[in-house]
Amino acid sequence: MVTETSSSSQATQNPGRLEQSNPDYDPNIVIEAQNLTKVYRDFWGRQKVRALNALDLEVRKGEIFGLLGPNGSGKSTTIKLLLGLLFPTGGRAIVLGENATDVAKNERIGYLPEESYLYKFLNAEETLDFYGRLFDIPAKVRKERVQELIQLVGLEKAKRRQLREYSKGMTRRIGLAQALINDPELILLDEPTSGLDPLGTRDMKDMILKLRDQGKTVVMCSHLLADVEDVCDRIAILFQGDLKEMGRVDSLLKVSGETQIKAENLPESAHEEIRQLIAKHGGQNIVVDNPRTTLEDLFLNIVRESEERPGMRSSSSTGGDADSGTAAADQSN
Amino acid sequence: MYVESFPQFSEWFLPGLLLFLAVLLSGAVLGLFFGYLVAAFRHGPFEAFYVVAQVVAEAVPDFKNTSPRRVVALARLAIKEAMRRRVVLVTFAIFAVMVLFGSWFMGGGTEKPEQIYVNFVLWGTQMLVLLMGLLLSAFSLPDDIKNKTIYTVVTKPVRATEIVLGRMLGFATAGTLLLVLMGLISYFFVWRSLDHSHQILGDQSFAAFTAVDTETHRSTVTGKRVSQNALYEAKTTVDNDHSHRLEIISDVREAEQPPLESDDIIRTVKRDDGKIEYQRVMCLPVGNHTHVVTVAGEGDDAKITLGNSVGYFRARVPIYCSDLTFYNREGEANKKGTNVGKESKRKGYVDGGSARNRSTLSRATFTFEGVRENRFPNLDFVPIDLTMSVYRSYKGDIEKRVIAGLQFESIPDKPDVQNKFISEIIEFETNEFTLQTLPVPKKIVGRIVAPDGSLVEEGAYDLFEDFAGENQKLLVVLSCRDINQYIGVGRSDAYLRGKDQAYWWNFLKGYIGIWCQLMIMIALGVALSTFLGSPLVMLSAVAVMIVGFNTGFLRKLAEVDAQGNLINEGGGGPLESFVRVVTQQNTMVDLDAGIVDTIVEKLDYLLVNMMQLLTYLAPNFGQLNFSNYLVHGYAVDNNQLLIGIAVTIAFIFGLTLLGYFCLKTREIAK
Repeated sequence: MVTETSSSSQATQNPGRLEQSNPDYDPNIVIEAQNLTKVYRDFWGRQKVRALNALDLEVRKGEIFGLLGPNGSGKSTTIKLLLGLLFPTGGRAIVLGENATDVAKNERIGYLPEESYLYKFLNAEETLDFYGRLFDIPAKVRKERVQELIQLVGLEKAKRRQLREYSKGMTRRIGLAQALINDPELILLDEPTSGLDPLGTRDMKDMILKLRDQGKTVVMCSHLLADVEDVCDRIAILFQGDLKEMGRVDSLLKVSGETQIKAENLPESAHEEIRQLIAKHGGQNIVVDNPRTTLEDLFLNIVRESEERPGMRSSSSTGGDADSGTAAADQSN
Repeated sequence: MYVESFPQFSEWFLPGLLLFLAVLLSGAVLGLFFGYLVAAFRHGPFEAFYVVAQVVAEAVPDFKNTSPRRVVALARLAIKEAMRRRVVLVTFAIFAVMVLFGSWFMGGGTEKPEQIYVNFVLWGTQMLVLLMGLLLSAFSLPDDIKNKTIYTVVTKPVRATEIVLGRMLGFATAGTLLLVLMGLISYFFVWRSLDHSHQILGDQSFAAFTAVDTETHRSTVTGKRVSQNALYEAKTTVDNDHSHRLEIISDVREAEQPPLESDDIIRTVKRDDGKIEYQRVMCLPVGNHTHVVTVAGEGDDAKITLGNSVGYFRARVPIYCSDLTFYNREGEANKKGTNVGKESKRKGYVDGGSARNRSTLSRATFTFEGVRENRFPNLDFVPIDLTMSVYRSYKGDIEKRVIAGLQFESIPDKPDVQNKFISEIIEFETNEFTLQTLPVPKKIVGRIVAPDGSLVEEGAYDLFEDFAGENQKLLVVLSCRDINQYIGVGRSDAYLRGKDQAYWWNFLKGYIGIWCQLMIMIALGVALSTFLGSPLVMLSAVAVMIVGFNTGFLRKLAEVDAQGNLINEGGGGPLESFVRVVTQQNTMVDLDAGIVDTIVEKLDYLLVNMMQLLTYLAPNFGQLNFSNYLVHGYAVDNNQLLIGIAVTIAFIFGLTLLGYFCLKTREIAK
């Protein structure tokens, strides 16, 4: 069920440059989908799959927007419709004030496809140089930008190797670099962390956050919920082509009926006292326990410490010594 | 070789442009109609109008805003793809192997090895580059779409025009570079293979020669005929699978004439009648080539050397007649000549009279225009090339050749008031089915005749100033001088040979023809690949290529009259032929009248006209194939080259439009 509807203006008949012809155009709305529908048909025109059903959504400037959903929910279809790779069966998509099929809008967007579909016979420098030439960037600026991006994504040592020799992570990184070659306002990322190891995933997420801090708008679609939760400001959840939920992450995930208290340096003896106090105020299902870190944080800490102190076993664990078992969980009904 | 006639480029251009625009307009209308049908099928009939209008409206800014910078960037990518996928390298490697080892299997004692070598390099180059162009263009875009690498391109500000043009430009550049390399290597290969010399068998002096029988004009060694004025003969060593015959001939000149200065004179004799006899060493040609003879010294002690081959690398510039008319024995004009049966469709025959009536007015007259001195390099004589056939009504002495005669006449603009120049008849032996070159002296003995036919003057007159005159027209009259024999000739069988073009330039023109074919093939492959998968692109392009190379044959097969009915010698169209084959009916009888016959006739009408249309839609590769010219040593006319280039540009333009609209309306991610 849709809990937040777009505040889009009335769609006009002219699918051209709305920023000029539509007096209601809001420059803070970077992407607007109005009743966007996509039906795949076979050669004879018979309906095969209804991939997207009357999608209405908005993406605002400067936010990280996540499109979530299981496989086949319509996430990639939405991204492709926004990029003009597919034509809508119904409704329309407006990106940066232009119709999604208008080539001119591509000057200001970057796109990282699901598998970083790049030309395997080029090396990293050639790849970025090629994509850079497709924009109106002066040669000197382009050359500098290519080197900057290669350094940014950490491929300095492999920049002369053909992409066919790259690992999955390296390919994703060069894919991200090509998406940023034109310093875009809007970046669309299709499964950005798919296939990456935890380190690569962390780097990618940090990069996304950095882009938001630079004032860019990021739209990412993923089925890896933890990654989306970490970075996204707002999300939309799709299922079988329908928009089921949309809103801010923090407000969607808030469990309003429960209260969480965190404190450091609290002795064990205080636990019972706290439990009694809560019970006195009518609280139920009380759990007083040590919180858990995420497996990702644990992994990253171990890796970091191993790099700093090679050959020694890591001692960092926010939950205590792993060999002696976990801290006791005390539950009362 | 039969050279077809073709128009001047300036005459051809405007009608050609109008035809092109008409075809373009028809294609546009058909395309819009077909597009509307597809859109109506998908979106409904009313929405379809909007969809089609939108596509057309977006085409204008797309073409207008096409960025050369992006086209070049995509072209660079295509070149890199061509190089790094090793298609170009493998093509070159195959060519290199062919050139390295091909000469082992060529030559073989043929009289015209240059035809084999030139044909080999041209054919090999043509097939390899066309195949390479097809492979590059057929697989590139479909692979991009299949592998989704195109996603990262179309999501940049890249228009469909730029994608299509970039691919075409890139592959064209790679193909051109390879073609240039192959052309240079081919030229060097041919030149190296044919360049050779000989030595005289035995001594390199007069001692190697043996006397011939000057009465019967036969060799005393082999018994074969020798030249009429031959005195001695010898043979050369065998090199390049052949040897030449050498003859010392007698060249007699008047004492008053200036002394002959030539490097091939071995002896000068003053005869009893006061004339000077120059004994000259001649190397008889084998095929199209001979060797220049140099004689150092005089008499028995003279040293004779043969130079490198000459005559292989020729680019003849034929000046054809504007009109050929035959006259029968009674002097009545007709266009076909005397009927000797179904000897040749192209040639007409001239008869030599009969024993009863030796005088005959039968002749063939060639009218030449534009005959002026600067078109002929040699100031002493004008070469006429003739390819004649002979029809013998009696066998006679089979080794004795039929004698023909050539006569020259001026063509005054006002024959009623102006005098006419008529030359004496120059007799010569015909050499059937081979190209004969007759040197016509610039000064010809003849007479001036008044309009009433009376003799005005006799003497020696200049071929250009007197015979051709101010209107630059010349009439050449061919007659048969042997009774009861016939000489056959066609319009392209006799020409004045202008200044030969530089061979390298002609060779280059041949490769420009291949380049034009390559450009069309690349454009076709890219255009088809915007909406078809690789295997279908290959299949379609090969089908177009087959139609293109056989356009002449297909047009003749499907030749229709003004009403669209088939013109052929019987058998009907494709369906009727099929029915005849199956029912084993010969072509002389009509099919049984009935419903089947009517259906077959109607369908054949449709099929034959479609075949005709197809031959005009498919590019005529035969028109761009100049290999025959190079193989037989004729210059490719610059007008023909310009027409070929213009046709190529027209096809590329049309295919670019096709590719653009197909890519634009395609859902890349589907």
